[in-house]
Amino acid sequence: MGEACMKKVFALLMMALLTLGLAACGDSESGGGDGASSGKKTLTVWSFTDELEPAIETFKEKFDVEVELTIVPIEDYPTRLRPVLESGQGAPDIFTGELAFIKDWIEQGYWETLNQEPYNVDDIEDDYIDYVFELGRNSNGEVKALSWQTTPGGIFYRRSIAQEVFGTDDLAEIGEMFSTRESMLEAGDQLKEAGYRLFPDEGAIRWFAQGQDPQPWVNEDNELNMTEGRLNYFDYAKELREKDLTAFAPEWSPSWFAAMDGPINYNAGWDEVAEEAETEVEVFSYALPTWGLHSVLKENVEETAGDWAVTSGPNPYYWGGTWLGMYSQSENKDLAWEFIKMMTHDEEFLTDWAMETGDVLSYLPVTDKIKDEFSEDFLDGQNNYTFFLEEAQKINPDTVTRYDQQLDSMFGTVVSEYVEGVKTKDEAIAEFYNLVNSSYPDIITPDEQ
Amino acid sequence: MMQSKLNKYGYLFILPFFAVFLTFTVYPIVLTFYYSFTSYSGFGDAAFIGMENYQRLISDDYFWEAFYNTIYIWGINFGFQLGIALLLALLFSDIRLKMKGLSFFRAAFYLPNLITIASVALLFGILLGWHHGTINHLLLDLGLINEPINWLNNPTTARWSVALIGAWMWFGNTFIILMAGISGISNDYFEAALIDGANRLQMFTKITLPLLKPIMLYVLITSLIGGLQIFDLPMLLTDGRGSPQGSLNTMVLYLYNQAFKFNNYGYAAAIAYGLFIITVCFSLITFKAMYRKSVKGE
Repeated sequence: MGEACMKKVFALLMMALLTLGLAACGDSESGGGDGASSGKKTLTVWSFTDELEPAIETFKEKFDVEVELTIVPIEDYPTRLRPVLESGQGAPDIFTGELAFIKDWIEQGYWETLNQEPYNVDDIEDDYIDYVFELGRNSNGEVKALSWQTTPGGIFYRRSIAQEVFGTDDLAEIGEMFSTRESMLEAGDQLKEAGYRLFPDEGAIRWFAQGQDPQPWVNEDNELNMTEGRLNYFDYAKELREKDLTAFAPEWSPSWFAAMDGPINYNAGWDEVAEEAETEVEVFSYALPTWGLHSVLKENVEETAGDWAVTSGPNPYYWGGTWLGMYSQSENKDLAWEFIKMMTHDEEFLTDWAMETGDVLSYLPVTDKIKDEFSEDFLDGQNNYTFFLEEAQKINPDTVTRYDQQLDSMFGTVVSEYVEGVKTKDEAIAEFYNLVNSSYPDIITPDEQ
Repeated sequence: MMQSKLNKYGYLFILPFFAVFLTFTVYPIVLTFYYSFTSYSGFGDAAFIGMENYQRLISDDYFWEAFYNTIYIWGINFGFQLGIALLLALLFSDIRLKMKGLSFFRAAFYLPNLITIASVALLFGILLGWHHGTINHLLLDLGLINEPINWLNNPTTARWSVALIGAWMWFGNTFIILMAGISGISNDYFEAALIDGANRLQMFTKITLPLLKPIMLYVLITSLIGGLQIFDLPMLLTDGRGSPQGSLNTMVLYLYNQAFKFNNYGYAAAIAYGLFIITVCFSLITFKAMYRKSVKGE
């Protein structure tokens, strides 16, 4: 009796579960169907961050459409996106590209060419920061992607420390100290004497590895450019280590973040402790781009808010950036183009966007109107917007190649091997050529020339 | 008639497995083999270049460095993993000690295996830091070292770090397998040995070890196959390209970088087949060696 009853209960339970499952299926189907029957068009977007979300909300209201945003983490983004674009199955109408791989992607046929009918973006070329527009252009002169933002970098420094050590926190005067790699080291010496460290870690100077005369890593003949500036960088990095000018807090590590907000613990050796008990260090400056202010500094700082300022380093540089293009096989090109238009040259929308996010825009008609209004409390009232726009104008797009991210990383590795003393400069350079040959057999390194 | 009808249903039932297996396992394996003879870069068409990738593989210093690193790291890892697991298994299975709380310890030992590798890497990244690391802080305070050691920046300490973290993560798993093996050995042997006056060491070397051989072979081969594919810790602990000085450049990491960082898909496919051949060779050698010994022993 008991067992039979149990069986019945079990059967009922299973039936209930099955019906529930079916109902759930039915729901989602009818949900999808409703969208279609109401006649709303759906735009699909793939990206690697959620930064487009507010823009998508605006777009939905403005055009009365549905937008599906798929966010894929940056590590998987190229590998997930590529097969979809190759096959066209479930491909998005719009997808974004990051600086790290944009040079590869614009050479493929995945993005629609935008400097042709009906888009004709060449007509508005002069409205953009030069390097931002040029990075979307491939070797055949076709513009494949646009960006609404520009991401030049600067050196963020602590005003109070500048006052204490240099007697001034003036932007121009500190900028002068950072204007060459040599004068930057001198400033580092002074900071060290006063008990501060110039940078959180040695990686911070990699942006200034090229020196005053930046050249692309690889020239038109596919030869590696080992310039004087890059060769000197070895010695410069070594000096930074030997003089002990950094706090050894590696980028993105907890201590790197902690050092933004005040002194951090420091494992000094016993020798040093014997001389002068230094178990804490405080960092003077960080090399960060536009987004570093909002997404890094502001997010991790409480105590030192308002004590910062930003000025230029030995050479202009930029770090990151998101570009936007439409899939060449998309069936929704009209709508996709509307979205790109809104994101990249809709004055009203971009004005709101800049005011809300503080994003430094690449579209000059808007920045010209709004740049003077900015005053950043975090930087004690400094207008960082104007500063970054000026830095952005100095950037030369011709020095960007598709190899930059990986070559910069390999170069950093061999430089630190030289700095550590495990390799001589010649050995380190030879190792660099080996690494380049192994990773990119097509590049001709100086030892093969 | 009846017979054939039954057979048909049988095929129907195994069809889903084979459909999935053919699509997601066999097809990629065959395709990879094809790509290993091309210069496929991930975009567009793949140009056929014959044996070029394999010739390059054989003379590629970075690949053999990766092979050496992989074996180095796996060797230390396996030694510690098996050593600790065996010691614990003996403690817990000793009939005179009658250790309590086996199920608790079994879970506790296994726990590191359940943490995602990214968290493990982050945790040890902080512990092993140079000027801000916890371990250096501790050693300095205890006066054991005079200046902080840059653990992850020296080839030897970096390899040992990866190997020992791996051992910490996997010894629980090995422990459980060994425990299962030991509890499969009849207590009669131990009781008889006890009566004959055998000591612990004799019981271990004359009874436990020989009877545990099949299990040890299983542990060895699974660990070897897993160890040859070590990737995640070296990838996450340093710069992802095998720093310091290429000492954490393992075979699969090298494959990954060639494919997904440098877009040399064709060459990466050749590395994959190189790795496959090496794995098969190692498994055969291990199997042969263990099998012959056990035949001799009997």
